[in-house]
Amino acid sequence: MMVIIFATMFLALASARYTPRWIGIVLLLACLVLSTGLFLFEIYNPEYGFRMPWLQVRLNNPLSLLRSFA
Amino acid sequence: MSRSMLNDIFLFAMMLVVAGILTMAMILQYRGGEIPCPLCLLQRVGMFGVCFGIIVHFRHGPSARNTGVSMVFALFLLIVSARQTLLDIYPRPGHDYIGSAILGLHMPVWSILIAVAILLAFSVKLAVLGEPRDDRDARSRLALNKLASLLGLYVIVLCAINFVSVIAQCGFGACHTTGYRLL
Repeated sequence: MMVIIFATMFLALASARYTPRWIGIVLLLACLVLSTGLFLFEIYNPEYGFRMPWLQVRLNNPLSLLRSFA
Repeated sequence: MSRSMLNDIFLFAMMLVVAGILTMAMILQYRGGEIPCPLCLLQRVGMFGVCFGIIVHFRHGPSARNTGVSMVFALFLLIVSARQTLLDIYPRPGHDYIGSAILGLHMPVWSILIAVAILLAFSVKLAVLGEPRDDRDARSRLALNKLASLLGLYVIVLCAINFVSVIAQCGFGACHTTGYRLL
């Protein structure tokens, strides 16, 4: 995935210089979409990702929290 | 000096700084042996995206759209680096900081500062110089455009080197900081 992202970014930069502007913009948009997808994958993937499960808290009984404020 | 000339000098200086940062990152990678993590590589993508808007400005003429493109990638850089800094504040068990500190700050923290500086620079430029217009005289345009063209070419070469480096590091799978997969 990272290879494809850098390939599209390289093509976008080269297109910005040597081809009409819209080609570069399309390639750059593709790069941004792929990068965002990979970023979300890196965050949320439980096996390879960078999510922080040791920081996440799960309430056994969510209603008890509401009752404590009542 | 016209406003558009000031605008060009400002953008040229910004691209020079970003190109310098990318060069420094690659020196740390190849001379310091610090293999970039996936989020670090995405931060480089953000910086190349910022350069894209500036290259288009010098190649196809000024437009607020170019500024918008660069600001979107600066925002992407800020989001990725902020997420990585949060991760480094409370690292995974068995995982420490990735990379060494420079002037007491680690790379993701530097990336946050860089992203904020880029966004601030674009905001100041728009506030002070306004929307860019193409009213430069031909002589000054030629001189700065030549320099910007060379710098743009340098950024493209940097991206090509990064592309080859990513192939060596990640192959076509997930990237790891343990070593170069294809070497």
